[in-house]
Amino acid sequence: MSRIGVIAAREFRSFFLLPSGYVVGALFLLANGIVFLSSIFLPGQPATLRGVFAFDVIILLFLCPAITMRAVCEERRQGTWELLAASPAGSGAFILGKFVASMGYLVVLLLPTLVLVLLLELYGRPDPGEIAAGYLGLLLVGSVYLASGVLASTVTASQTIAYLLTVFFWILVGLGRSALPVWLGAEAWELLAPWDPFLRMQDFTIGLVDTSSLVYFVSLTGLFLAASVVIVETERCA
Amino acid sequence: MDHVHDDTNQDTPAASDRSSGVDGVRVQGLSKRFGPVTAVESASFRIKRGEIVGMLGHNGAGKTTTMRMICGVLPPTSGRVEVAGFDIVSQRRKAAARIGYLPESSPLYPEMRVREYLDFRARLYDVDDAGAAIESAMTRCGLEAASSRLIGQLSRGYRQRVGLAATILHDPNVLVLDEATSGLDPLQVIEVRRLIEELAADRTILISTHVLSEVETICDRIILFARGRVVAEGDLDTLRAQSKSGAAASLEDVFVELTAQAFMEAAP
Repeated sequence: MSRIGVIAAREFRSFFLLPSGYVVGALFLLANGIVFLSSIFLPGQPATLRGVFAFDVIILLFLCPAITMRAVCEERRQGTWELLAASPAGSGAFILGKFVASMGYLVVLLLPTLVLVLLLELYGRPDPGEIAAGYLGLLLVGSVYLASGVLASTVTASQTIAYLLTVFFWILVGLGRSALPVWLGAEAWELLAPWDPFLRMQDFTIGLVDTSSLVYFVSLTGLFLAASVVIVETERCA
Repeated sequence: MDHVHDDTNQDTPAASDRSSGVDGVRVQGLSKRFGPVTAVESASFRIKRGEIVGMLGHNGAGKTTTMRMICGVLPPTSGRVEVAGFDIVSQRRKAAARIGYLPESSPLYPEMRVREYLDFRARLYDVDDAGAAIESAMTRCGLEAASSRLIGQLSRGYRQRVGLAATILHDPNVLVLDEATSGLDPLQVIEVRRLIEELAADRTILISTHVLSEVETICDRIILFARGRVVAEGDLDTLRAQSKSGAAASLEDVFVELTAQAFMEAAP
């Protein structure tokens, strides 16, 4: 197993050794169930998960930073970071391992929601393509949230600050969507709009898989992770 | 018994390292500056294969920083470190695979079980027969009874043993142990010292400590640090000869005298 895999496997297991992993999972499922029952699973409603996906883009914004806030700070606090730094694994393997583990946890988080798909199948005729696109979108937007969370946990020694930094960063991005068109004018916003992650996510929730959005989310994730590696390396060299 | 790959393409150690007479540790002109603060200044020393060397010095004398640089945790500002013949900066992976490092206070993952943690460490170092290596390390460190216990629930002494066991899993040529016995009760101290002496049979060991008697009991040689510099080096007799107190002096007298000298020289 590669060193990324070794680090990821340990991290992934630790999600299930700590109560926080279960709390996050339970809250996510509960929230999804409520949205599904209150707005989708009703007579006469179309058999689609759009409402759930749109809701998940928001709720994941609050859950993903909770998944990653321990990533680097906790290793620093415990001193285990020193053990990893002395091992043959490099900073790249360390950061990627953390990210892969949190992506794995996100998948585990999303898996039980397939029950909702099953319910739709039983009572209606949902579009499988649209649902697949929605899940792909959640994984992509989740990967961006998680990578930004990993980055936040490299810049601070406190889990709380790492969590707040990530959440507030995305809240600011969200606020920017309504503020910038007003401040800059509609024309300038036209130029910026393709960079709006929430707008791109909307495509996925309605079943549109746009290659440029795919490239956008993957690059953004890569950018956050690369920045994390650089920060961890510079800190080592400081 | 060598538990690791013997493959020249890999960055894991070859069994021949130890018999080919490759040096344990070679430190040349090593310096570390943190902004305006100089933590270590042009430290140079060599540790031969099979030697136990003790690093002595006050808190803040530069022992831990030096150890971190030897283990590749911190890159040096200037100077070189070679471990088993490999440069710790340019050949980091090869060098890292040959070092076992136990930082101060033995950091561990409290939510993991002992065997699970050792398994993680074995995989991190790509140990070939991880199962056998873990069994052997647990036996050596007296951990058989604790193998399925949660690390967070272990006593200080047991945590230290887990740290040591993890340090020797990949059968390193060089062991670097930072304050390995601090915070342990006297019985545990004796146990850990016995273990270090056992491990020294076929390894190079560098330990740092505040406890002078520890250095006297288990170390072949002493490197004395003060204000980030190596102020004296040699066996106890050599150090006695360097001090004014003479041949009858205790290590304590020698330590106080030589470090005081260093402070006097540094004063304007």
